[in-house]
Amino acid sequence: MAQILINAVTLGSLYLLFALGMSVAWGTIGILNFAHGSFFMFAALSAHFIVQKVALPMPIMVLLGMVVGAVLSVLTQMLVFDPIQRRSTDHHRAELQILVGGIGISSILLAIAQHVTRSVPFGFSNSTFHIEVYELGPLQVSNIQFVILSVAVGMSALTAWWLRSARAGLALRAIGVDSEVATLMGVDRRRLAFGTMAVSGGLAGMAGILLTYYLGSIAAETGDSFLIKAFAAIILGGIGSVTGVITGAMVLALAETIVLTQMSGMWASAVAFGLIFVVLLLRPRGLFGRKEVRRT
Amino acid sequence: MIEWYDAHLVLIQSTFVNLLLVLSIQVPLRMGVFSFAGVGSYGLGAYVSAILTIRYEIPAYVAIGVGILLAASIGYLLALVVSRLKGLYLAMATIAFVLILSVIATNGGELTGGAQGLYGAISDLNTLEVIMVSVVVIVLLALSERGATKRRIDAVREDPELAMSVGIPVVRLQRLSFVISGALGACAGGMNALLRTTVSPQALSFHLVVLALTMIIVGGLRSWIGALIGAVVFTWLPSMLQLAGEWQSVVYGLIVVLAAIFVPTGLLGLVQDTYRKLRRRSSRVVARDSVSGTDDTDTERALFASLGGDNRTGGSR
Repeated sequence: MAQILINAVTLGSLYLLFALGMSVAWGTIGILNFAHGSFFMFAALSAHFIVQKVALPMPIMVLLGMVVGAVLSVLTQMLVFDPIQRRSTDHHRAELQILVGGIGISSILLAIAQHVTRSVPFGFSNSTFHIEVYELGPLQVSNIQFVILSVAVGMSALTAWWLRSARAGLALRAIGVDSEVATLMGVDRRRLAFGTMAVSGGLAGMAGILLTYYLGSIAAETGDSFLIKAFAAIILGGIGSVTGVITGAMVLALAETIVLTQMSGMWASAVAFGLIFVVLLLRPRGLFGRKEVRRT
Repeated sequence: MIEWYDAHLVLIQSTFVNLLLVLSIQVPLRMGVFSFAGVGSYGLGAYVSAILTIRYEIPAYVAIGVGILLAASIGYLLALVVSRLKGLYLAMATIAFVLILSVIATNGGELTGGAQGLYGAISDLNTLEVIMVSVVVIVLLALSERGATKRRIDAVREDPELAMSVGIPVVRLQRLSFVISGALGACAGGMNALLRTTVSPQALSFHLVVLALTMIIVGGLRSWIGALIGAVVFTWLPSMLQLAGEWQSVVYGLIVVLAAIFVPTGLLGLVQDTYRKLRRRSSRVVARDSVSGTDDTDTERALFASLGGDNRTGGSR
């Protein structure tokens, strides 16, 4: 049971790192980014190609993934989301267009990745980092699990602090509450949007690298399946709330792990969707959803 | 013509099936209900008609009809369940509904054929019948886009509170949109399963949700014509893009992105805007001429002549 818990927390931490950036972008600047999963995959892919040339240690690889994710995210904001938001007058219509724009970007990145990898899974076998498994009594814990857990704790604490106390975070929350009044008060919405997207993409890239280390290899399509899991985690917890994402990711991972070990593996993927459905019915704003940051 | 028709039969069939699928999402959207349940009904209809055809060898219209009835009733129940949700939350809940159905289909064992799906649903459904059904649906929807019905639907979408206050049964209409959506989706799914004689969990995938949404946004949100444009474009695009070889998916994605940025009202909106602009320009020309010119009929006569020799120049005035 304790072993299941450890594995579930690791999986939950990966969900958390992935969903955190998405939740922040959705809850503040109102961008529901469908390309988030492909940033995550593309960061891992770029790192895979670089590590084949030079054997790099893990911290550098994580940094690399963050940079790739952030650059992709900022580029997407610059070329797609920002033009849509600038040209649009109708908020609801803009939301739909952003959704579709993200879908387009994601299919471009997926197609490129499938082309260069010929749909074969890829990993970081040339990295200097090697997985070691420690035996703690009856439990088995690997060093990568420690890394994932500590990075997840660190990043979510940092994000929570940033949103709560930093000036930029305050401005972001102000946008989340009422973007027009925030603009009147001197908040530069566009500049903040770029910053938020950079943070969001960086978190996705980080999650991509760590997941690839944890699983050994990932495929081009892994990003898409993570996207739905992230939705589930965000909706479970409530959009824009860091506590919410943490809870959502952990509950989801725990439920999935339990179903996976107790029932046939095929049903595990239904857990995420079932949870989304039930939570939306009982608490439409999520477990920690606040009314004032609603964007719909 | 006949040769072309035979060579592209599959694409022609898919166009109409996709049109019905897109309409099943567009109808609720026109009433301000952001629901993807139509894709779930598509899978439901496909499975029900395939199972009935394989097991009992009943006529196609009965098999599809049963699917439609079932999906419409499930649509109604779903409407009752998700009545509290709006906007993207509703969209997410209905996507979850689709994906749960997909997991059930994958785990259905004997009944649904698991991950491989079902084969050999051979029936007597032909393309002409598919086209006729589509035409009937389009006529009905076109009627709902005129006069009082159109105004009522617009009111429900733009301002439900106001609509309610003037006596429009908003809740009932929105529930009705779920039922219609279920029926249309199941009809599309059933016809597709019987035309292809197979069905697999692919009929319930996230990818299909994404495809349907893309068709609507690129085609146009508010009218069946937009749905038709979207269905035609995205059914035929992949075969056109074969010229692009290995990069066709990249080009496809690029087209979707460009459409999202530059064509906010869909291709239909683009056409309408251009038409309106052109008409305004030509009417401005007429107005200026009639102010400056002393002889109205002469300028008009010249205008008609330049437009292709209409012989109304006679004694209409």
